[in-house]
Amino acid sequence: MSIFYFVAFLAIFFALMTIFTKNPVHSVLYLVITFFTLTIHYILLNAQFLAVVNFIVYMGAIMVLFLFVLMLLNLNEDTEPMKSNLVKIIGAIAGMCLIATFLGAFRVIQPTNELVAGNADIGLVKNLGKVLFNEFLLPFEISSILLLTAMVGAVLLAKKEVRKA
Amino acid sequence: MGAIITLCILGILLLYLGLFKMNKALLPVALVGLLVALGFTLSAWNTDAAPLYNGMVVFDRYALSFSALCIVVTALILLLSKEYFRNISEHIAEYYCLIIFSLTGALLVNAYHNFAMLFVGIEIMSVALYILVGIRKSDFASNEAALKYFLMGAFSTGFLLFGITLMYGASGTFDLGALRNYVTSAETVSPLFYGGVLLMLCGLCFKVGVAPFHFWTPDVYDGAPILITSFMSTVVKIASFVGFLRLFSTALVPLDAFWTPVLLTIVIITLFVGNASALLQSSFKRMMAYSSISHAGYMLFAIVVIGENSVPSIFVYATAYALASVIAFAALILVKRMSGSDQFESFNGLAKRAPWLAFALTIAMLSLAGIPLTAGFIGKFMMFNNVMGSYNVTLLVLAAINAAVAVYYYLHVVVCMYFKNAEGAHAGHTTMMPAPINYKVVLGVAAVLTIVLGVYPDLLLVLFGG
Repeated sequence: MSIFYFVAFLAIFFALMTIFTKNPVHSVLYLVITFFTLTIHYILLNAQFLAVVNFIVYMGAIMVLFLFVLMLLNLNEDTEPMKSNLVKIIGAIAGMCLIATFLGAFRVIQPTNELVAGNADIGLVKNLGKVLFNEFLLPFEISSILLLTAMVGAVLLAKKEVRKA
Repeated sequence: MGAIITLCILGILLLYLGLFKMNKALLPVALVGLLVALGFTLSAWNTDAAPLYNGMVVFDRYALSFSALCIVVTALILLLSKEYFRNISEHIAEYYCLIIFSLTGALLVNAYHNFAMLFVGIEIMSVALYILVGIRKSDFASNEAALKYFLMGAFSTGFLLFGITLMYGASGTFDLGALRNYVTSAETVSPLFYGGVLLMLCGLCFKVGVAPFHFWTPDVYDGAPILITSFMSTVVKIASFVGFLRLFSTALVPLDAFWTPVLLTIVIITLFVGNASALLQSSFKRMMAYSSISHAGYMLFAIVVIGENSVPSIFVYATAYALASVIAFAALILVKRMSGSDQFESFNGLAKRAPWLAFALTIAMLSLAGIPLTAGFIGKFMMFNNVMGSYNVTLLVLAAINAAVAVYYYLHVVVCMYFKNAEGAHAGHTTMMPAPINYKVVLGVAAVLTIVLGVYPDLLLVLFGG
């Protein structure tokens, strides 16, 4: 349990650093560390597959992509969008509403809940595969359409238009 | 299921046709594919509906009727696309393919019985649209619309997923039937579940574009190419509503004391925001965007007073709204092609230049406003009737006020067409270039259907045994 509290503290700390730091590159690096702490959480929960995917895809691929985009965008102080106080206040109120809803919902969570503690091995790759290829076969197959759509779209947007003379 | 498989194959086939440069064959193949899908949908009508594939999808009459509606509306919109895409770029096959995939997503949302399918369906529908909205790459408004739609869509998907997670945390299932069992049999419904309901409500409201989650709607509808706007405001909106209604009517009815006040507030805000903003617009396209917000408000009536009449009334309303929108956007494409603008002024004197186009557009506007003898009236009547049945007088009065306001801005177009003369640059054009045959067919079919359903609504109601 003490490991959990330590990692949870780190996760929240680095998440806050992501928001408060001024330099966008530092912000992304803090986000990488936040994702790493989340990976540790997954391992603590015995969810191997999620941990591996989170480590490789989110921390590795997506965050590197983030850094590249930031590098290409060439952000500096002048291009920072205007933030009015009104927007900040509204954002704070909306965020607090969200937190209130979540706290209201989470107050009953107990680690001994049978849904949570029922099957400790549920996150193992083997069990996940069994569920994925039996019960959730249809959504799994249909996701191929989703990926194909995204692929067609990405090529379509990136491809150069041939201007008719 | 046959329809969904057909559409998946059709999309891939269209890509191959594009690869082999058979651009002429694209539209006929797409239409034939849609017809086959429609055939599969209708042929399943009399079979007993049971959840298939481990309870993932269910093709009951509710799903089938809305699937058929979505397919027909898509076919009408594709008919309009003949020359339209060619003016944008060379890659026509991909556009058809994306529209077909988006329709596949819509069909999945119509028929889901498990949150996994709902999520995959909504994502397929939206991802294809993010691209389609931005296909005018050199147009700044189109780029802005695509980015805005993408960010807002991703955000709302986050809400939806969080909602699904919390509901799973409380009940341990993604299945609608099991969720219903949980809600009816549990002694105390866990607060987690309530949180989940609220978050799902937010996510779905984003998707259907009702206030206060409507901020993306006007900009996106305005910036997207007109044809895509018409697809978004009909097929996608209808499918999102079907998903919305299915969740609430199958699983969440016993909790209605919890979500009805929330939804009621949303409906009232939506009606006023949509109609008041539509009143102030000078662009026809933007007016249609705001009017689609207010129509979403009316469609929510069916969920607020949920009951056995909800499905028929939302079906009739959606049919009327979709037909009228298709006419309105088709007319807008023709007018914009001639005058280059989508302001109300470009409709001035249209009745003299193109009497039949003006007549069809008038029918559409009357239908949207809910004037008797059009399908829109029947839809509004059934919605109001539902509300009246539950003695919700406040909502009824507010809705009636809003319906009256709506008449004003819909008739604005009609007044422009019939009683104002074209000025300035267009004054010289006494005749409009004749509408292509496909436009005539679509306008004719949609206008006739609007009138027929308005005079004889039993044609649709008999589907639901009403």
